[in-house]
Amino acid sequence: MTLEKLDNSPQNASNGPMVRTEQLVKRFGSNLVLNGVDFTVDRGQTVVIIGPSGSGKTTLLRCINHLEKIDSGRIFIDGQMVGYREQNGKIVEDSEKNIARMRAQVGFVFQRFNLFAHMTALENIIEAPIHVLRQPKDEVIERARVLLDKVGLANKEDAYPHRLSGGQQQRVAIARALAMNPKLMLFDEATSALDPELVGEVLKVMRQLAEEGMTMVVVTHEMGFARDVADHVIFMDKAQIVEQGSPQQIFNEAQNERTRSFLSRVL
Amino acid sequence: MFRWDQVWYYLFQDPNFTFLQAAWITLWISVVAQAIGVVLGLILALMRTAKFSPFRWIAGAYTWFFRGSPLLVQVLLLWTGLPKVIPMALLPQWACVLIAFSLNEGAYMSEIIRAALGSVDSGQMEAAKALGMPYGLAMRRIIIPQAMRVIIPPLGNEFNNMMKTTSIASVIGLMELAGTAQVYGAQIFITFELLIVATVYYLLLTTIWEFIQRWIERRFDPGRTNVAVDEVMQKSFSQRVAGFGG
Repeated sequence: MTLEKLDNSPQNASNGPMVRTEQLVKRFGSNLVLNGVDFTVDRGQTVVIIGPSGSGKTTLLRCINHLEKIDSGRIFIDGQMVGYREQNGKIVEDSEKNIARMRAQVGFVFQRFNLFAHMTALENIIEAPIHVLRQPKDEVIERARVLLDKVGLANKEDAYPHRLSGGQQQRVAIARALAMNPKLMLFDEATSALDPELVGEVLKVMRQLAEEGMTMVVVTHEMGFARDVADHVIFMDKAQIVEQGSPQQIFNEAQNERTRSFLSRVL
Repeated sequence: MFRWDQVWYYLFQDPNFTFLQAAWITLWISVVAQAIGVVLGLILALMRTAKFSPFRWIAGAYTWFFRGSPLLVQVLLLWTGLPKVIPMALLPQWACVLIAFSLNEGAYMSEIIRAALGSVDSGQMEAAKALGMPYGLAMRRIIIPQAMRVIIPPLGNEFNNMMKTTSIASVIGLMELAGTAQVYGAQIFITFELLIVATVYYLLLTTIWEFIQRWIERRFDPGRTNVAVDEVMQKSFSQRVAGFGG
């Protein structure tokens, strides 16, 4: 109890880690997907999560902004508990309003882009700032154009998603997330659905974001990106974090046999 | 003997606009019943996907009843049955028809809307949630507009059907197009002629609706992804008029 109170104080909220999870457990039916996962993401850090398919890395990411409910454990973003609150000493799911408010501060980039199909690129970007944050339309449009320019799509603002390539759609999706001025960005295999020649343009945008000091958690199969851009690499296997450390430690000096065997297969 | 003069008279020379008034009744009852049906259908569709299970049962039972019994019988139940259950509650014909058609249409629309909501990729709702949209806002801004594209073609068919099916209201004496043709026709044995007049008006209504529907479809498809739907609609129309062709 005392510990939680400390964590929620404003002072701590601005100094502590951006993300912290405690003993995260998640099941799909009888299948254990996350088995007691602890990790932290410091402010301004890029944390890359790697691991074989089915290791739980995407689920972990989806739990961070409560797209998945958790079975036990706790998640904190900026010192605030995510998705749940304490009521009479019990942990209960938080109200829809509070969950939405938390999500508005966290950008999420999906493997399959999920651009709103009935809206142009620009409309996709301005939708949530106008209707969720209730910011003035002119201001939002101006900012959206800057973001489109930043992701290299200044001339595509009137294009509907189905007229854009996968790489272009994903860059619009990143701009859409950034338009909310998030304090944290989550990338769920953002390049896995792309043709190989389109992967680079998306990674370039992500790399630039990392260099600008955005706090990012990236689930990816792009080992080059992990090695070059990550401040911290987490290797997951069988619902657990097996090993974590700097890219140097993971890619060159892995201690765990499972990490070494995974890397030998993908590198 | 076929009375062309009567057809001509009731189409173009009738100073009382008998059939125009009848067409108006057909039209407004159809429009209002369809509108109520859409709203009812949306509520029922959302109830059927609700987490709270009694909502799902109520919506399921409702749809089961109204889709499972004939509309004609539902109209008659209201017309003859209601005064027996609640004495003095004899509704005017138009009200019986309007209520029965609205409730019935709600059941059919709920199936159409439920299928359309289900056809929207689940990633759209996830993206909306991830951007901080609560359920209601996400439905209103993201899911329903996309479902509209899928809803409108069958909705057009429903409304087309509705305008024609209002003819069964003539059995309780409502003076819409078919009822008017029968009542006026029976007086001097020109029912056949007046049914032709009624048919002209039905075709006029459905044809105008066809154009409106196509316009609406384009409006709800800003990305122009539903070219195929447009073509299907044109085809089905000429088939309906001529009975064949494409």
